[in-house]
Amino acid sequence: MRRTLLILGLSASIAGSAQELCGTIAARCEQHITKQYIPDGQFYRALLQGDEQAEFNLTLFGGTTYRVAACSGESDGILVFNVVDKDGNVLFSNKDQGNAPYWDLAVTNTIDVKVEAGLDPTKAGSGCAVMLIGFKK
Amino acid sequence: MSVSSSSKIALGLGLGLFLAACGGSDTQSEKPAVDTLAVDTTAKETELLNVGGRIFSIPSPVQAALAMRKAGLKYRKELAAPLEKADPAVGKTAQSTLLGIYGADLAYATVHKDGQRAMATMQAIEKVGSKLELTNAFDRALLDRFKSNLGSEDSLLQFSGVAFRAADRYLKENQRNDVSALVLAGGWIESLYLTISDPAAANDQSIVNRIGEQKNSLDALVELVQTTDTANGAANIVAGLKELQALFAKVSSTYTFQEPVTDAGKKTTFINSTSTVTIPADQLKAIVTKVTDIRNLMLA
Repeated sequence: MRRTLLILGLSASIAGSAQELCGTIAARCEQHITKQYIPDGQFYRALLQGDEQAEFNLTLFGGTTYRVAACSGESDGILVFNVVDKDGNVLFSNKDQGNAPYWDLAVTNTIDVKVEAGLDPTKAGSGCAVMLIGFKK
Repeated sequence: MSVSSSSKIALGLGLGLFLAACGGSDTQSEKPAVDTLAVDTTAKETELLNVGGRIFSIPSPVQAALAMRKAGLKYRKELAAPLEKADPAVGKTAQSTLLGIYGADLAYATVHKDGQRAMATMQAIEKVGSKLELTNAFDRALLDRFKSNLGSEDSLLQFSGVAFRAADRYLKENQRNDVSALVLAGGWIESLYLTISDPAAANDQSIVNRIGEQKNSLDALVELVQTTDTANGAANIVAGLKELQALFAKVSSTYTFQEPVTDAGKKTTFINSTSTVTIPADQLKAIVTKVTDIRNLMLA
């Protein structure tokens, strides 16, 4: 019984630490959605290991400039993300831009896209991935 | 050394807690992991995961309000949900959807520079937020900041966006994904309701297109609400959204890929692909009716 309580206590402590860690990453990521951008009001995160990828679907409305921020680990440039259209065409990859932690997407016509995010294997083996989106008025 | 059954259960619970604390455990690896900068280039089969389990991005109500303003639709503050609904709202489902509805109403009033209504709506949001234990996001300090910036539309949109994101983060970190999903559902339905309630909307092609462009968002929303509503507390709403989904199924669209252009200096990629949507007129009428029904259900 004592061992059970000990393990539960330790596990809860680890869970708290992980949450704190994601929170720290989120706080850093929020800095990339500067005051020129209105946050979309949502928070996206995933736990990644190895070459796992997180993905989420979104509609980008025409006539809008979006900012996508993607963060993990203790510094910028650890998360690699691709923006892919419904036909599988890669519209943008931050890998081509030195793993930029944020990028703007100026959208002419409304388009449904998928954002795929994974860790740069040369920089991290696992971690909490946070993505945030803002847009210009 | 062996581990007893109760210890194994405790360990399992602990690992579950750990995984949930950093993104949810629904679809993710069963292996515990810590954030680390250690290099691990071991080749593994790529596994796709949805962010936060079954989380999708739902369009911000602010974008809908901006589209309405751009199209020149008249501001009709009587369309917004009654603020007195905040007090009697009881139960997680009613409170969550009401919070989302008020969030959309807040954007509507702010974008149309109705500071007084925006402030009153923010007070109602604080009230409902408090019932949902979201005082970390909607507190007195936010109200004060809001009040002292009533003349600045940009600041108000910023404050509300940051506050709703903080609330969403808190809910997801505390495994209250059902509440998070219902807040999004309330906001999405209210935005659509405000958009379609103006008879002029049906004659404005940009607005009709915007309605049709919500098809994928609705699919995401249905999946999101349905997956997170494990207690079936929102069964009526799920049913309504599915009926709406059936109506949206008749919306057709086209997409043509165009090569994007990247300006690295400006850290911007210009996405030039083209798309069209078509909604049959009778279908649009049916959508208007169904959206109103769902909104009434949420406000009942």
